[in-house]
Amino acid sequence: MVLCAAGAEAAGTPIPHGTLELVAENQWSAGGHDFNLGLHFQLEKGWHIYWVNPGDSGEPPRVKWQLPAGLAAGAIEWPTPRRLGTPNIVDFGYEDDVTLIVPMHAEAGLSSKESEQLGAEVKVLVCREICIPGKAQLSLSLPIKSQASAPDARTSNLFAAARKSLPQTAPRSWRFSVNDAKDSFVLSANIGRQGTQAVFFPLVESQISNAAPQKLSPVATGFRLTLRKSDQLRNPIPRLKGVLVLSGNRSYLIDVPLSNPGEAKNTPGTGIYAAQFLEEGR
Amino acid sequence: MKRSTLYLILIALLLCAGLPLISAGKTGDTAPDFTATASNGKTVRLADYRGKYVVLEWHNNGCPYVGKHYNSGNMQKLQKEWTARGVVWFTVLSSAPGKQGYVSAGEENDYLTKEQAAPTAALLDPTGQIGHLYDAKTSPQMVVINPQGVVIYDGAIDDKPTTDLEDVPGATNYVNLALEQAMAGKQVHTPTTRPYGCSVKYSDSAH
Repeated sequence: MVLCAAGAEAAGTPIPHGTLELVAENQWSAGGHDFNLGLHFQLEKGWHIYWVNPGDSGEPPRVKWQLPAGLAAGAIEWPTPRRLGTPNIVDFGYEDDVTLIVPMHAEAGLSSKESEQLGAEVKVLVCREICIPGKAQLSLSLPIKSQASAPDARTSNLFAAARKSLPQTAPRSWRFSVNDAKDSFVLSANIGRQGTQAVFFPLVESQISNAAPQKLSPVATGFRLTLRKSDQLRNPIPRLKGVLVLSGNRSYLIDVPLSNPGEAKNTPGTGIYAAQFLEEGR
Repeated sequence: MKRSTLYLILIALLLCAGLPLISAGKTGDTAPDFTATASNGKTVRLADYRGKYVVLEWHNNGCPYVGKHYNSGNMQKLQKEWTARGVVWFTVLSSAPGKQGYVSAGEENDYLTKEQAAPTAALLDPTGQIGHLYDAKTSPQMVVINPQGVVIYDGAIDDKPTTDLEDVPGATNYVNLALEQAMAGKQVHTPTTRPYGCSVKYSDSAH
């Protein structure tokens, strides 16, 4: 579906093994009316780009904006990623076709005398088995008018699909907790029914082991998910933030404080355990 | 002390001695020993370098993150500076045959000459044995081992996880920090980081 919507445009700038296009959701911008831009990536089969947390290798796309005075770009809204890579080296990213939505803030005083040219320099790493860094200079002509803007029919399907791929806020009735259990974090979820599928994508690097299997234990009203700590984690973490993908590919953004912010696994020197044991043995 | 208690202590000690093997060569562990053939034809055994600092540098000549550090001359500079100060520097090539970065001994020697690289030796690891021992995930992942044979740093080469040459000068180099701090008798402040770069091309990696 997304491909069809994009096929009509087909005006992307080349990047390694794909194209990238800057698109707008509206026909023009207007002072005081925030709007959305999109970075639409189309990749050749088998090639991928990365999520904001790329996982074990790679890096996310980076954007430098060139905008008229009065316009400011917000943080990228990242669609739910997929697990990529091999059993031992796991990356998080996107294949085929993906649109990153960028919310734009238009100040009330935005003048129609400003340039209508919006520019973005995008650095992106495109990988299959090998990785190729690419750089694209994108531009988009978006008039500035005084009256509130109207949606652009040419990009409405693309933005609708992009919005559908974003993780949602979890329903209010759901309850999450996270326990620090020495070598792992145990995420407990109460979602009002048994949870039979759950995959967690950590938003912050180096908290959990990306490649470790995530052990799911269904319970009557939800599930428990055991996430092995990253070897790189040295300090206790206050919260666990990430995207949780449940059955039916429904994904939710969660941000859960640790119930028992404990010690990280890697206290320096494994000899510590021996010393403790000897003392107990006396 | 009862005999049963003694046995318990013995078992505990044995378990502890076994720990580093289970958790692979991560910071705080005893560096797993290995024997490898270097591109210069010599056989290298890690245990022979006890008493010296040893740096392991995972390498893949086709990886743009590795390219950043060789095209800027950064890696060669680190190799020259630290080997001049008595550090042993092993470049490790864990790409499997047919994968990006796999080279014959002769090709690696040509590369070292062309790049004016100066590691103590470049170790050929086509089976990924050394890579798996240290759970190396990326090139250029870096490991620093102290003279007692303990891993004191494992992770990225610096704090700029990009392929841009212009990011090299302003970066904080974690290998320099670990070696300088350890040689000054201090605690290594950043003992582990996320090792950025290209995934290591083991024989089990996807096509």
